[in-house]
Amino acid sequence: MKEFFSEYQLLNQLPLGMAYVPLQEFTHLYENLEEAFCKGTLFKDLYKPFSGRRCVR
Amino acid sequence: MNCESQKLLKEISILDFAVTEITLFLDTHPCNQEAMRYFTYYNRLKKDKMKEYADMYGPLTLAFAQQTGNDFLWTTQPWPWEGGME
Repeated sequence: MKEFFSEYQLLNQLPLGMAYVPLQEFTHLYENLEEAFCKGTLFKDLYKPFSGRRCVR
Repeated sequence: MNCESQKLLKEISILDFAVTEITLFLDTHPCNQEAMRYFTYYNRLKKDKMKEYADMYGPLTLAFAQQTGNDFLWTTQPWPWEGGME
């Protein structure tokens, strides 16, 4: 259990009860703008189509 | 509305989408140089396409309305609900 929490070392300096969103990098853009237009985002990392069932990695 | 204007309109929509998306990114990353270059490039391209559309088919927005001939095309061209965009 200890190792599970070690990676959260940084987070325990932050106030409780708040939501944190990782900062987006300017990377992994769609080269084809028409593809981005159809997928509704410029960034591949933000393309998350609803698959109709539980999230699967 | 012919095929050619439809094609140009689609190009403008795609460019407008890219500009809007990168603007949203710049909202939270106002100092990102790469994103600014991306914005500048595609915003210029979008304006060029909109100017091209205005010259050929009439202005899409007031920013591109200009005197062409005797009448003010912005007012005299068919409105979208009059089949102006179909």
